[in-house]
Amino acid sequence: MRTIEVPALARVEGEGGLYIGMQDDRVVEVRLDIYEPPRFFEGFLVGRYFQEVPDITARICGICPVAYQMSSIAALENALGVEVDPQVYSLRRLMYCAEYIESHALHIYLLQAPDLLGQPSALDLAAIAPEVVKNALHMKKIGNEVLKAIGGRSVHPVNACVGGWHRWPDVDAFRSLLPELKWGLESALETVRWSVTLPFPELEVEYELVALHHDSEYGVMHGEIWSSGGTRIPVADYETRYIEEHVRRSNALHGHTVDGGAYLVGPLARLNLNHAQLFPEAQRSLHENRIKLPILNPYKGLIARAVELVHFFEEAILLVGAYNPSGPAHADFKLKACEGTGASEAPRGLLYHRYKIDEKGLVRFAKITPPTAQNLPRIEADLFAMAPRLVKMDQETATLTAEHLVRAYDPCISCATHFLKLKIEEALPARTDLHGKSD
Amino acid sequence: MERVIKDLVVGSQQGFHNDIVVIGIGQTLRGDDSAGLEAVRCWQKRFPRTAASVRVEIIGSPGLELLDLLQGTRAAILVDALQASSTPGSIVRLAPEDLSSFSSSERSAHGWGLAETLQLGLVLHPVLANVQMILLGIVGSEFNLGAEINPRVRSVLDAVADRVEIELQLLLAQSLHKVPACP
Repeated sequence: MRTIEVPALARVEGEGGLYIGMQDDRVVEVRLDIYEPPRFFEGFLVGRYFQEVPDITARICGICPVAYQMSSIAALENALGVEVDPQVYSLRRLMYCAEYIESHALHIYLLQAPDLLGQPSALDLAAIAPEVVKNALHMKKIGNEVLKAIGGRSVHPVNACVGGWHRWPDVDAFRSLLPELKWGLESALETVRWSVTLPFPELEVEYELVALHHDSEYGVMHGEIWSSGGTRIPVADYETRYIEEHVRRSNALHGHTVDGGAYLVGPLARLNLNHAQLFPEAQRSLHENRIKLPILNPYKGLIARAVELVHFFEEAILLVGAYNPSGPAHADFKLKACEGTGASEAPRGLLYHRYKIDEKGLVRFAKITPPTAQNLPRIEADLFAMAPRLVKMDQETATLTAEHLVRAYDPCISCATHFLKLKIEEALPARTDLHGKSD
Repeated sequence: MERVIKDLVVGSQQGFHNDIVVIGIGQTLRGDDSAGLEAVRCWQKRFPRTAASVRVEIIGSPGLELLDLLQGTRAAILVDALQASSTPGSIVRLAPEDLSSFSSSERSAHGWGLAETLQLGLVLHPVLANVQMILLGIVGSEFNLGAEINPRVRSVLDAVADRVEIELQLLLAQSLHKVPACP
């Protein structure tokens, strides 16, 4: 039996272990085991007043609190039949822009780029290319500042509520951000130019791509759920097509289609399905850099993030320039017992919520399906495809290659500790127990 | 101790010192991890006049944003919990170069520790090497989510607050011989 134990998958959120089982030089099993706690949030929410939900769900993640907060708001507003003012909607989109800028700048430069450039960590990358890392941190900081201006703080913002905002953010605080956002757009365009020069490993995968789509805007907060297989369903029908199941070895649920197929959510899915809705500079960057779609190489999710970075800086500039609020910051509505669904695109992919509340506004049921849970079977399938190559590599190379693939997905597992143990072993022949059942 | 502090206060400069920052680091839901921020809050309560004369920051984790907090400073006192083999509640004064022994090779978007962040800061902004950095570590033992702060750790918070005050008064006294701030 050959066993390789390697500690530390750095630069992902959460902890997990990778197991690869071999029999007769054939890979028989690949498992990415995750110990992810966010499911507990569904339990925490039951019995809470519905207006507490956005601030609680924001706590699920420090990188994408906006998506958790806004998906829950969308579900509750759909349930209660709340129509929000276009100004409210625009500010929500701006908050998403901020989150995408933060998250993508971080992942592109500090989490994945070191792999592509043969550097053990962002620290090592900073040593050889300090200006690149400085620019990345500067872009991230701009996202933080925009989020802070809207939500009161750069992590776990607190201004959003069902119906709108607790109060309109200060106009002057926004205006002062414009020069920085314009710098960020230039930096994002440079990021796309740089991204296409990176040495990506070869891997083409036949994905079923799934993302929110809206005909008149880049799908983030509204629209139908589109699949590259041709399926187009309203968000309310999500659970009829996509289901999660408990996998014994893992605390994270695993998502798949009702037919049992793995599917991909995230930047590659969005870009491939929604590129026609990108803002002009982002469209131009695709053309000028000869980026051909669809991109079906998981490592090239970095290119998709770079193009999205351009889009979200552009959109943020437009929204900040147009921000001039008037009237009430939130809508009035009548409380009633109801049920509703909502979805949005977190930086890492489709995020679905469903709630039931009673006539007093207390949550009676909550369901949250994060992007990483949906992508886990897809990551495992990719690792399975790569496993024959992995087992022929020496320990260090195999570990780095497996880690890089997982990191390319940018899994957001939890805010706890984070490690991956790579274990490759030759399985013993199947045993038969006294009752005649095989292992 | 009080006398030492009073003597120091006599020699210190008055006014607000934007180029000196006291940073308490820790997560309140992770037991002894909160020791750093609790100690700084304790210091703020006991020495409100000094606390009002410098920048004070409380942060949940020493992520990359820490580098922003250090911009424009000439001196920083960072108070954080640490894991070490010493008795819980032990107080350790570290220089930045001592931090490498606490460094973790496991970095994530969330998990940039104090050591890694300062290392990155020094690489990106060599001028940070000019910042006089004082790191006060409080040895903890229980860092699990939902844990209470260890009574032995809680019992030293006053002593850490005294230490913060002494370090600060020494820094303020040095203000008489001003060093240019980190741009």
